Amino acid sequence: MTAVATPASAPSRRRSLTGVIGIRHLATPAVVVVALIADYLWVHSLRLDSIEQRTLNSGYLVGRTAEHLKLTLVATVLIMSIAVPLGVLISRVRARWVPPLVLGLANVGQATPAIGVLVLLTITVGPGVGVAMTSLVAYSALPVLRNTLIGIQQVDPTLIEAARGMGMRPAQVLWRIEMPLAVPVVLAGLRTALVFCVGVATLATFVNAGGLGDIIVNGIKLDRDPVLVTGSILTASIALLLDWAGGLVESALRPKGT
Amino acid sequence: MDRFLSYVGRHTDDLLQQGLEHATVVGTAIVIATVLGVALGVTTWDRPMGRAAAVATTGTFLTIPSFALLGLLIPLLGLGWTPTVVALVVYSLLPITRNTIVGLREVAPAILEAARGTGMGPTRTLLRVQLPLAWPLILTGIRVSTQLTVGIAAIAAYVAGPGLGNEIFDGLSRLGSKNAINQALAGTLGVIVLALAFDLLFFAVRRLTTPRGLRV
Repeated sequence: MTAVATPASAPSRRRSLTGVIGIRHLATPAVVVVALIADYLWVHSLRLDSIEQRTLNSGYLVGRTAEHLKLTLVATVLIMSIAVPLGVLISRVRARWVPPLVLGLANVGQATPAIGVLVLLTITVGPGVGVAMTSLVAYSALPVLRNTLIGIQQVDPTLIEAARGMGMRPAQVLWRIEMPLAVPVVLAGLRTALVFCVGVATLATFVNAGGLGDIIVNGIKLDRDPVLVTGSILTASIALLLDWAGGLVESALRPKGT
Repeated sequence: MDRFLSYVGRHTDDLLQQGLEHATVVGTAIVIATVLGVALGVTTWDRPMGRAAAVATTGTFLTIPSFALLGLLIPLLGLGWTPTVVALVVYSLLPITRNTIVGLREVAPAILEAARGTGMGPTRTLLRVQLPLAWPLILTGIRVSTQLTVGIAAIAAYVAGPGLGNEIFDGLSRLGSKNAINQALAGTLGVIVLALAFDLLFFAVRRLTTPRGLRV
């Protein structure tokens, strides 16, 4: 986190990171810490039966959390390396009808329920981590693809004209003008994808791919509220913290002057 | 493909029933969320702290994964329709509240001045001037929320909620059988069709309810 929130190393890049990291930016971690402590104290005050003990021990919890984070972060890296270049590529296509078609397909894709994608893949390929990862990437890549396209399309055409007039080659225009100006929109898409990934990764449990969904499902199936609540709070905490971190990255990487 | 069509043909009644339940649960949640979201927007739009808090809080709700939110609601509300509707309402709040706030803020001060000049009180100004002008934007928020919740409602089937998600989870539990894929496919496509149907509905509502002066 320190790497993200180091206004000292780049004081000119951010108008007032010190001002922005005020109470507003501390609210999320504060809520998460309070929720986790409250859950811990509550579970500790209970006499757990053997079923609950099987789930509510640090080994199991840490293991599932690690699986969840791994699924989420690997999927996000894959999405970043697939969807961003793909978006750039599509924005280069000369045929005018291609980008709207892709945007339309992306919208329909977004209406597809994640659980449907996951189950269909599982039935056709078989359960496992690979299938969970594929659905995560397929489902969460859409906002990144869409935002990359939109981010590049919304760059002021007069700026591109000016860059060309200065003698920049198309590759230079892309790398030095269009991409930097698209960064905020692309990052917003990535942040959305990150949150989607945490959510879809909870469904990985249905295809035996682990993650925190295991704990939630145990809680529901065995009718044990402490298990259910602990799994849910851990999942929600991860989602909130990753989104929070994404927000910090977003404000740190915004190009100067926008 | 043939097998899928014959499956759909044999189970039309079930699928329609589940689709109807799915639409009902989404519709109920959206109506409740619209009332709450618009009320929240109306009370906070002209207070900087208030509207920031409203958007931040409802935004936090939207970040929580649906399965985790359902998990937190079950100990309080049990299984079935109730936690499903509550979860969907919670997810729908951000787009509706945010768009209400933005819509109300976009009404030009001169128009408010004119309303006051014609002798309208604050309540009448709100109902006759501000909300109608903000309506297209509010409606967009409602539409975004609907698209969002149609998909999320599929997961609720796991906690004994209604709808097409049951078809998907049934397919999963019959992994290896002939009909597993047909069932999962029917459920998934059903959700997409429902989302498109809702979109069409909003298109019509938008045409019918936009104040005449705002139509393009």
